[in-house]
Amino acid sequence: MTDRTENLLLALPGLLLLAVAFFVPIARMLALSVSGPDGVTLDHFARFLSDPFYLGVLWRTVRLAAVITLICALIGFPFAYIMARVGPRLRLWMVIAVILPLMTSVVIRTFGWMVLLGRSGLVPRILRDLGLADRGFGLMQTETAIVIGMVQVLLPFMTLSILGVISRLDRRLEEAARTMGCSFAATIRTVVLPLAMPGIVAGSLLVFTLSASSFVTPNLLGGTRIQVLAASIYKSVTQTLDWPFAAAQAVILFAGVLLVLIPYAKMTARRDG
Amino acid sequence: MKTRFGSAILGTLVLALMAGTAMAQDKTLKINSFGGAYEQAHRKCVITPFEKETGATVQVVTAYSADAFAQLRAQKAAPQFDVVHFSGGQEIVGAKEGLLAPIDPGKLTNIADIYDFAKSGIARGEGPAYSIAAIGMIYDSKAMSEAPRSWKDLLDPKTSAHLVLADISNGYGMLGFLMLNKVEGGDLANIQPGLDAVKKLLDGGATVVSTSPEIQQEFAQNGAWLAPYASDYAFTLAKAGLPAKFVQGAEGTPASYITVNLVANRPNQELALKFIDMSLSKSAQECFANELRYTPTNAKAVLSPEVAAGVAYGAEGVKGLLRFDAATIEANRAAWVEKWNKTIAH
Repeated sequence: MTDRTENLLLALPGLLLLAVAFFVPIARMLALSVSGPDGVTLDHFARFLSDPFYLGVLWRTVRLAAVITLICALIGFPFAYIMARVGPRLRLWMVIAVILPLMTSVVIRTFGWMVLLGRSGLVPRILRDLGLADRGFGLMQTETAIVIGMVQVLLPFMTLSILGVISRLDRRLEEAARTMGCSFAATIRTVVLPLAMPGIVAGSLLVFTLSASSFVTPNLLGGTRIQVLAASIYKSVTQTLDWPFAAAQAVILFAGVLLVLIPYAKMTARRDG
Repeated sequence: MKTRFGSAILGTLVLALMAGTAMAQDKTLKINSFGGAYEQAHRKCVITPFEKETGATVQVVTAYSADAFAQLRAQKAAPQFDVVHFSGGQEIVGAKEGLLAPIDPGKLTNIADIYDFAKSGIARGEGPAYSIAAIGMIYDSKAMSEAPRSWKDLLDPKTSAHLVLADISNGYGMLGFLMLNKVEGGDLANIQPGLDAVKKLLDGGATVVSTSPEIQQEFAQNGAWLAPYASDYAFTLAKAGLPAKFVQGAEGTPASYITVNLVANRPNQELALKFIDMSLSKSAQECFANELRYTPTNAKAVLSPEVAAGVAYGAEGVKGLLRFDAATIEANRAAWVEKWNKTIAH
């Protein structure tokens, strides 16, 4: 027996598991999405793509995911930079602070936000007391609520991805830039940021794909009126029992995420190379 | 060859199973119930008294109407339930498909006391309604100095910002919406007037929720005053300490009938009929009204004033009950849900 066949034999159970647990469901989803009463049809896709309502849902999903990714990056980068540059003891606490929320279920954290953002919750009440909002103001069932909740849920993924890269950067590069007369802001912009790019890209990818496909938080914070694609798929499966249409929507979501993934992945590959 | 062998094994298995049930048939009854507080009340009001009286054992399977109906359909050749309970009008479809057996009124001692509308289909196989969830208006008696009286009151722009609507994926939500549609001039062939009204209410600040507990949350935390919903849920809110009260709309009260049905082709129908009879009894229905605020269908049921205020009670109270055609709702559900989703998402 050659090494090659031996390796293949060893890998076989894993490959089989992958095939059964990953490729078969995806193949079935693809098959379902083009199945009609009389054989193969593209009607479900046509229905989605010709209906302004569903296009609106798709656009909202993409837009929210982009906004959430941007905010996560804006918060995550400075946070990760500070984490990488403080002493080891403080860094430990900061890492714990980032990871701790992950120990609680997303559902429970979302319920927490529901209490905070509701009409008589803490956040709208403070805004009202400060005179920044009127009496009937509430944040629940708005896109803002979704963004707030999702950023809190996904921030650790961004921070940790960036932290991994920044903590490996050579500090002497920054010191060199400063001795050459660079301001702090310019050092960050011209030295740290470009070098941290792979981490930011990886984090953004994670956050974007997770938020585009997330269901629980947008559904609970946005309510039934503000639908994202995942919620629309859920409704098609459980309420109208239109499984082929649900599969078509899932394929569109899948394709959309892939479309974002490919250029991003290429970008990081080039930078690493 | 292989398939023949397989079917032979299957046949033996079915025979063995049937022999098993045949031996136990006299003294066990298999039914479904809806779980949670409902099942507790069901045990207290019907199941335990029945077991005591007949010495039979009742096996309860927790399954909502739609699930129980799906099981019944799948088991058409060899049904496993003796009695099934439905709340979404499944008995109408089930009777048409021959899954349920017609009931001889002579076998039920309590049937004479049941209001006519609740037993009109028993000869066709649609089981009698033993409880009714009446859909009316739940309102906050502290926040609203004047109780709503008519379904049109829901459309008052003054209360829009404090109104909660239930999504029509929710059974009660569907009935409330159809009633709103009706008072706005629509019918089951045309739900546009209802959708237009919903759109106006949403523009005025109303919220949509998809599950019952969210209604409680809206009333407790988010300043909701008014919701078209069921009598039993008004009681749930009151039990949670909220000043919630239930009132029937003047134009009529859509009703969700909770029916008890005799499954066709089961060996122990005598025992099953006894169980159905028990569900229709005065004491069982009074018990359901006390426990969960369901409207009794037994004309002889006597309720305390406090309980009576929370349900549609007596000949006067049930006169306004109306039932939308379950078969039409079922046939249109997918299309309506999509239209509704588009309306509320604007």
